[in-house]
Amino acid sequence: MTRVLYQLYYFVRAAFAGLRGSPLTTGVSIATIAVATIPLGGLWVVTGNMRALLDRFGEELQLTAFLDSKVRSDQGRSLAAQASAIPGIDRVEFVSQEQALERFRTRLGGSALLDAIETNPLPASLSIALAEEARAPERVAAVSEALHQLPGVEDVAGGETWIEGYGRALRLVRSAGMGLGLVLSFATLLIVANTIRLAVYARRDELEILSLVGASRTHLRVPFLIEGVVQGAIGGAIGVALLFGIFHVAVPQLRDALELFLGWSDPSFLSPRNVGILVVGGAAFGLAGAAIAALRTRVA
Amino acid sequence: MSAPPVARPAAESAKEAPSPAMRSGPAPRPGGDPLIRLFHVSKSYAAGQFSLRDVSVEIKKGELVFLTGPSGAGKTTLMKLLFAAERPSEGQILVLGRNVARVGERGIPQLRRRVGVVFQDFKLIASRTVEENVAVTLEVIGVPPREARAKVFAMLRRVGLQHRRHHRPAALSGGEQQRVALARALVNEPAILLADEPTGNLDAALTVEIMDLIAAAASRGTTVLVASHDAALVRRYARRVLKLDGGRLVEDLPGGAPA
Ligand SMILES: Nc1ncnc2c1ncn2[C@@H]1O[C@H](COP(=O)(O)OP(=O)(O)OP(=O)(O)O)[C@@H](O)[C@H]1O
Ligand SMILES: [Mg+2]
Repeated sequence: MTRVLYQLYYFVRAAFAGLRGSPLTTGVSIATIAVATIPLGGLWVVTGNMRALLDRFGEELQLTAFLDSKVRSDQGRSLAAQASAIPGIDRVEFVSQEQALERFRTRLGGSALLDAIETNPLPASLSIALAEEARAPERVAAVSEALHQLPGVEDVAGGETWIEGYGRALRLVRSAGMGLGLVLSFATLLIVANTIRLAVYARRDELEILSLVGASRTHLRVPFLIEGVVQGAIGGAIGVALLFGIFHVAVPQLRDALELFLGWSDPSFLSPRNVGILVVGGAAFGLAGAAIAALRTRVA
Repeated sequence: MSAPPVARPAAESAKEAPSPAMRSGPAPRPGGDPLIRLFHVSKSYAAGQFSLRDVSVEIKKGELVFLTGPSGAGKTTLMKLLFAAERPSEGQILVLGRNVARVGERGIPQLRRRVGVVFQDFKLIASRTVEENVAVTLEVIGVPPREARAKVFAMLRRVGLQHRRHHRPAALSGGEQQRVALARALVNEPAILLADEPTGNLDAALTVEIMDLIAAAASRGTTVLVASHDAALVRRYARRVLKLDGGRLVEDLPGGAPA
């Protein structure tokens, strides 16, 4: 058991000796992963901010179901109860014709214009707050559809169409990101694996000698895997750091454009958790690249 | 050499395998089960050309055997078969109770950890210091670093290189490199020592010193096979001599009095 620990110590030592011993291949691996991290992390910043914007609007998102003029107040209240049973609906408030008029009045500031009206033209309605999970554009449409099915509901308003468009844009950016991510991942893996293969070749004399004095395959390979993890983590961290720099230079310059086209007033960078995920992801790529290199290279 | 070869199962002899050099007291006499056995072994690198041809031989625990013969006779090839750097084309080889001709992926490291080898071309790692080169033998089996350092230092002192321990092989003379190779082979007290021309680059005085070190390992129970062209050296140590010529074992002379 302790032997295993000491071997681990030797593996780690050999890995760091290897990293220092071949600075060029080490540098290429790190740079590759750093360069791949920037566009991926950048896309993540974009989608993250789009998502946040949608959420903010979602909080204010209300639907109004206008009721038939034949619906009486007590019926309206039972309709409200039925509506609140629809999945995705948080709260339902019944607004009678009188209340509607009252609200209209206070909003207009008691205009004499309204006093002239004899019959109340405003319909009774249900004022509906959506549950958190139903604020996505596709869910809003479903809730709205369910409301239409209720007896006495004439029309449903709200759930502005631009939100739907924005949601579509978010989905588009996301799938583009995934596609780009896939291509970038593949290219990164290829470059890293081949770079580490070069490092293996550069050290093949050493590996042969180690094998001749009784090193197992594990002993020959594990240091390369550790090197891959270290290179990947460093590459990921450098990539995130560069992205952070770009973010801080670019955002103030583009402030107006971002506000105008994306509606971002104060975009935020990746959360610490997501930064962690990118660094760990870099490490995983380094490990995968090293594993491919180690498996494809016959070592002594 | 007087004892007749006993055909006991090989696995049993492995259990009795030595913990050489750890022993104190009188040196064990060579004898008992053979640690190395070759049965009709041939090795051909290219079709029709035999580097070894039908070699059968047994070497017992604690024996010091010289392997001689002209250049190209097959000395290095025979040694390579013993630590599974090459596979025989025909025949069976038992080393420490293992059938080396058939030992698998996992068995090879296990075997090599008990067989110290001084390579004809030294095979030192250029990027590591003398000290680190000697330590690799201990690292592959996970000896604690502190213990490894102590052993390496003691071993380097025995070959007279403790003052060179922080140098890299390129900064060493041929003879010094050869002694580093010997230190690496002996530092883990192997059951078998294979030394391919271990004195080829040494002057007369150093040759005696190094051969004495090798002979001492044999007297502690390590089974030693030394390839050498040096007839004077072979005569001086007056041990068993195997002579190869054109891949055939042409002579097996029992030694005279032990040195
Ligand atoms: N890897 C190889 N591929 C092909 N032929 C080889 C190989 N290794 C050795 N040989 C041949 O096998 C024969 C025996 O070689 P070997 O190295 O065993 O000789 P040796 O007795 O050690 O010679 P020396 O005293 O010069 O070291 C030689 O003819 C050599 O050319
Ligand atoms: Mg040779």
